[in-house]
Amino acid sequence: MKLFAKYNRINVLATIFIFVVGSVAFYFALQYILIKQLDETLHSEQQEIHEYAEVHHQLPDIQNTKHQWVTITPTDKPLLKRKIGNYRYYNEREKEWETARQLLFSLNINQQYYIVSVSKSEVETEILLKLVILVTIGMVALILLLNFFINRSIINRLWQPFYYSVDQIRKYEIKDKQSLSLPRNSVNEFNLLNESLNSMTQRIEADYLALKAFTENASHEMQTPLAVIRSKTDMLLQQSELKEEAIKNILGIEDSIQKLTRLNQSLLLLTKLENTQFALNEEVNISELIEQKLEEKKELFLSRKIDVGRKIEPLVLLFHQQLAEILLNNFLSNAIKYTPAGGMVNVELNSTKLVVTNTAANGSLEEDKIFQRFYKAQPNQEGVGLGLAIVFEIARAAGFSVSYSFTNNQHIFSVHFNWK
Amino acid sequence: MKLLIIEDELALNQSIVAFLSASGYICEFVTEYSAAVEKIELYEYDCIVLDIMLPGGSGLQLLKYLKQNNKTDGVIIISAKDSLDDKIGGLQLGADDYLTKPFHLSELSVRIAAIIRRKKFNGRSLMTVGDMEIDTAGQSVKIKSKPVELTLKEYQLLLFFIANKNKVLSKNAIAEHLWGDDMDMAGNLDFIYVHIKNLRKKIVQAGMEDPIKSLYGVGYKMQL
Repeated sequence: MKLFAKYNRINVLATIFIFVVGSVAFYFALQYILIKQLDETLHSEQQEIHEYAEVHHQLPDIQNTKHQWVTITPTDKPLLKRKIGNYRYYNEREKEWETARQLLFSLNINQQYYIVSVSKSEVETEILLKLVILVTIGMVALILLLNFFINRSIINRLWQPFYYSVDQIRKYEIKDKQSLSLPRNSVNEFNLLNESLNSMTQRIEADYLALKAFTENASHEMQTPLAVIRSKTDMLLQQSELKEEAIKNILGIEDSIQKLTRLNQSLLLLTKLENTQFALNEEVNISELIEQKLEEKKELFLSRKIDVGRKIEPLVLLFHQQLAEILLNNFLSNAIKYTPAGGMVNVELNSTKLVVTNTAANGSLEEDKIFQRFYKAQPNQEGVGLGLAIVFEIARAAGFSVSYSFTNNQHIFSVHFNWK
Repeated sequence: MKLLIIEDELALNQSIVAFLSASGYICEFVTEYSAAVEKIELYEYDCIVLDIMLPGGSGLQLLKYLKQNNKTDGVIIISAKDSLDDKIGGLQLGADDYLTKPFHLSELSVRIAAIIRRKKFNGRSLMTVGDMEIDTAGQSVKIKSKPVELTLKEYQLLLFFIANKNKVLSKNAIAEHLWGDDMDMAGNLDFIYVHIKNLRKKIVQAGMEDPIKSLYGVGYKMQL
């Protein structure tokens, strides 16, 4: 729920509550005052009747009006106290039941007791009350409505910088090398937020760059000792007096150096893909490159008895020659390595996508992990598990997308060129 | 043939010198920028093996120096930085080739041989190895004056063996030369055997004694 909606809900509920309580109190207060006024009128009428009776010693002649009337009835039992109350009566003229205020008191004229009833219709009071209540309710509704619209427009405007910041944060990618710089604005809270976010991302970026530089430097620094070891094993192999056992050991070292070298180069390439902005401005003839790579690797496919199918349409992309080669190499090397002997590899290229399919040896791979670094389907498998991570990074650098699926016991790797 | 090895890592420098000297090159070596400049000023080399990162200066500066002084020494860069970094920079400054560390000494040797061929003989070299005559411009081979049809891989293999004659070449080194190091061989190097077998068959059929020896479990060696 939006902050505004939440705030508004509380606000509206509180306002309604206050207005209801207020209106009820107002109603009763008003009623009390109006009734009091009525009663005063009745009392002054009583006063007048009393005065008349005292002076003239006879009953006054009273003109009844539509709203006020007096009845005088002789009685044996005078009231000890005057009584005041409401009663309902049927108004012949209006043909409806109405309420009247009635004052009863006793009068003694020449030893004869009378009970005098002075009544006054409450219709006017009621009308007044109704009117006042209606006006109040109307005002409440109007205030709520106005409040709602004013709040909405003002709050939306006030929160604008917040949504801008959120939008910027959402677009922010640490790999993009475009640092997050949220602007200053007039609201202190948002300023605080933006400044904190800015400095936080700056710190993260610095750490990230340090880490990247570390990986790159570490990989570079490893190259020279590797070169030394490799040159030494090359030299050792030249010694004719070596025993078979020694040779086996040297070749074992050579194999491991080769693996280490590949791992190192892959890591270096990955950091480079992340750290460098590659200019994708070379016209790369993808279809020709695929044919060339397939030709280069013909023996490798043959030696594993893998059939290669191809459906390649001519395609020239604005890309990076070396990255294109690495991407294709990794796909094809994987296909060679992981297709069981006698299996099938298919390469399909058209203007929208490149699809490399190969027969699976052990069922489906984990779709969400396959492009992660150091992912291995089997823990004992030969490669280091960086090939597809590199493919993924190259595709990302070029704005392509990659996907994996599994059907009919076949791994299907696709690169979509995402034409804009 | 005179070579200058400029590499600050002494252990590597020594291996290179030992390997190439055994191949019949005269090798001089330095480990610092200033010493390298001195050597280059004084002497002329058929090929310079150049590391980029040197104490006292950059190998790229040396390249600039060579170019400015119209020196024609061949240059092969050996660098820890790979081709995505500064291959283009080095080649634009006039280097003839570029090799990323770590490399096989046999690979360095074959690249140096190619540079010297291109530089010395304008790429029009006729090499004679025993009864073999190789025209590196036309990529054709004759044995006892009779042409021998070789596939591209067999031809590359032959040149690799010749550049490293009397050297033990491991299968890894051969595979990396023929298929590049971006290739993950996955332990199966049997297909190399097919190429070598075919090359040997063709040489023998042409009437020459088979110069390639299999060293069981190790690799191969061309004895001449």
